[in-house]
Amino acid sequence: MLFNSYPFIFVFLPAVLLGYFAANRLGPTAPVIWLALASLVFYSFSNWPFVALLLASIAFNYVIGWLLISRNLREGRRFAVLVAGVAGDLLTLGVFKYAGFVLSNIDTLFSTSFAVNILLPVGISFYTFTQIAFLVDAYRGKVAHYALPHYALFVTYFPHLIAGPILHHRDMIPQFESNDSKRPNPRLILYGLIIFGIGLFKKTGLADGIQPLVALAFHQASPSFDQAWIGALAYTFQLYFDFSGYSDMAIGISLMFGIFLPLNFNSPYKATSIIDFWRRWHMTLSQFLRDYLYIPLGGNRHGSLLRYTNLMITMLLGGLWHGAAWTFVIWGALHGLYLCINHAWINYGPPIPARLQRPAGVAAFLLTFLAVVVAWVFFRADSLASALSLLSRMADPGQIVFGRTEMVQGLLIAVYAAIAWFAPNTQEITGYDHKNRLVGENIGPWQVRPLLLYGGAAAFAFGVLGIQQHSEFIYFRF
Amino acid sequence: MNSPLKDLLRFFVASVLIMLAAAALNFTVDPLQIFRASRQFTAVYSPDSRLQNAGLIRSQTFDTLFMGTSLAIHFRQSDIDRILGVKSLKLSMTGSSSREQVFVLDAAMARKPRRVIWEVDDWVFHDTPDIDANTYLPADLYRGGPKGIASYLFSGEMARVSVWIAAQSIPAFKPILKSLTSETLLKFPISDVDDINTLQAGEDVGARYNAARAMAAYRYITDPARRKYLLDDTDYDMKVRVFERDAIGLIKSHPDVTFDIYLPPYSILQWLALRETSPETLTSVDEFSAYLCRRLMDFPNVRLFDFRAIKEVTHDLNNYSDVIHHSPDIDLKVLQWLAQGKYRVDRARPTEYLDQLKAQVEAYRLVSEGQDALTDDFGQGGASR
Repeated sequence: MLFNSYPFIFVFLPAVLLGYFAANRLGPTAPVIWLALASLVFYSFSNWPFVALLLASIAFNYVIGWLLISRNLREGRRFAVLVAGVAGDLLTLGVFKYAGFVLSNIDTLFSTSFAVNILLPVGISFYTFTQIAFLVDAYRGKVAHYALPHYALFVTYFPHLIAGPILHHRDMIPQFESNDSKRPNPRLILYGLIIFGIGLFKKTGLADGIQPLVALAFHQASPSFDQAWIGALAYTFQLYFDFSGYSDMAIGISLMFGIFLPLNFNSPYKATSIIDFWRRWHMTLSQFLRDYLYIPLGGNRHGSLLRYTNLMITMLLGGLWHGAAWTFVIWGALHGLYLCINHAWINYGPPIPARLQRPAGVAAFLLTFLAVVVAWVFFRADSLASALSLLSRMADPGQIVFGRTEMVQGLLIAVYAAIAWFAPNTQEITGYDHKNRLVGENIGPWQVRPLLLYGGAAAFAFGVLGIQQHSEFIYFRF
Repeated sequence: MNSPLKDLLRFFVASVLIMLAAAALNFTVDPLQIFRASRQFTAVYSPDSRLQNAGLIRSQTFDTLFMGTSLAIHFRQSDIDRILGVKSLKLSMTGSSSREQVFVLDAAMARKPRRVIWEVDDWVFHDTPDIDANTYLPADLYRGGPKGIASYLFSGEMARVSVWIAAQSIPAFKPILKSLTSETLLKFPISDVDDINTLQAGEDVGARYNAARAMAAYRYITDPARRKYLLDDTDYDMKVRVFERDAIGLIKSHPDVTFDIYLPPYSILQWLALRETSPETLTSVDEFSAYLCRRLMDFPNVRLFDFRAIKEVTHDLNNYSDVIHHSPDIDLKVLQWLAQGKYRVDRARPTEYLDQLKAQVEAYRLVSEGQDALTDDFGQGGASR
């Protein structure tokens, strides 16, 4: 079931919301069980063959977590249990997500004729990562024992289950345990609706609206210079509005239940460096990779060379997390390289004189955006060959069409760029503060209540009007 | 009632009012002409024929339907009318399956046409999901039920088109809006029904249809990395089942309508590609063709035309943009053959033209598949007999 569908907005969500608050009369655990069951129903609508896999994964990790938290095992055994748990998770992910990729590469190298075609369970990357974090923290002694319903809800919670944000148990489970969130709060419901409406409009109005232009670059054998750039930029904005729209919707839905989800985006295309970009793009994934991969690898604690090596490993695996294809590996490698260059520049680059700070800032912003667009070409392309072909078109200004159609398309791209670069983001508009569990406060004087209220209503209405028959989110396939 | 509850109520009321306003605008302007033919506002049309056809079958006057895939997409209704002496409505849909074609034709049958001209490819008869699961064709809108009408009225995209059309009725805005009208901003950039999915005026036909392009397409589809796609077409039983369900089902249920069915003139390279890369597919296609020809002879309301063995067309690669798609010049020839009754399949010898085609395919030889051999009977094709 998609967030951007009539059945979800007008049937599923209201019914689950009403049931959640009604169940509170039966005791504090009842709403948690209701929400976990509703999440399984949500998942089963489009992925029923994999509900058993999801439940098995929850059971497996809960048992491993219980062994680590509640049993007084010796250190060696605890470590062995952790390794078994993480290996089990990675093995499952590997079989479903990477087996086909590995075998096809072996086939290419050795002509083995081995091939498998395994369906990818939706959301497996997300729910596997959240549970690995839980196991590692349980091993580190940072986790108290959680009740099974709360743990199951933490994994299955439908606003995030399919495409994140990647949740952290220490952030979520205390909220599920709190009684405050189980009573209806009209204010949180209102702000949840406004945030959901903004996200829905981003998806159905903006991302779906620019989608046809992407084909100019990626579905055409030989685009011209301008068509290649229009297509690459269109994908750059489509991906942002699609994924950040989904994340806004997830945050808005969750807020209606009184649960604050972490932010996933903070105007990433306003970044003035790649380091800055990764603090703004898919923030929960960046935090996960930092805490559970980069730092355990040694982070920056063992000298420059190892730091750069760790950065490259982290970003390569981050790329591979997105999908089993060499294009994602190259995308990750490019970002790893960008980050290494960025860190090297900070450490060894010349200081910028005060009078050049502003132009240098503009240059850094443009260079960052350009680097990100180039990397997105690999992210989107069907193969390395087509990515390189498109990049060669983007580097060949000798072939330009720039007719009336391309001018209008360029105008449309400019409007999207203006929104991404200059418009306030959702949390700035609504005053959403995940850390302090606040919303609608500390907002600017221009966000007077009627404007926010009716602007949010308009976003919601236009978002609903923009719903197409079937428009999946790009990140569903990861 | 406290303030947050009041705000919540205001939010819902404002949202509903905006949606109702959009619906009212769509009803008034009616971009697809579902409720009425355009009079007060400028009529505009979309190249998305799966969507546009839903309006055309309601708003246009016709006595003849014209259906097919991309091979029948560039025909002009004015040419069909002029050459065949009919009042036609073109409903061809690029990449359409027989299920889609029959669904649209069936919806148009409510307007009581006398004749259907139907371009038929063997590959349209394959298993496809139910029409309601088809995300590209708004089945409910064709049916005209409440769900379809609601999806039309409460469509933001339609509202954008409505605003655009309504704004064009203001003389001061018309020039700037006209210059900005393109498929990028508006799904309805066509102002004349005769121009829907035809080649644009000034388009270089020679650059689009030539032997070099046809040969490039041949090399592309016969590349070892892609030739497996040609193997997808070997399920004879499935094709027969789908053909009986869709084509025969429609023909049987409309005995008072004349069906002029024609098998289009693909380039010889299409058959050569099958022969060279997947002979089993070629055999299956031939067998299905034979079945189709014989079966259609059972119906007195069917006239079958087989243009696949017309050598002067199919062997001249300059007529093609790839291995199957022919130029607008051939469109006109097709209409003339239909008007003259040429290449009509004889009920006594239903596979006569098919047998000719099979002989041609068997005998055809490429001079060389290398670049050096781009010299032949037709100047630059890379192929000859």
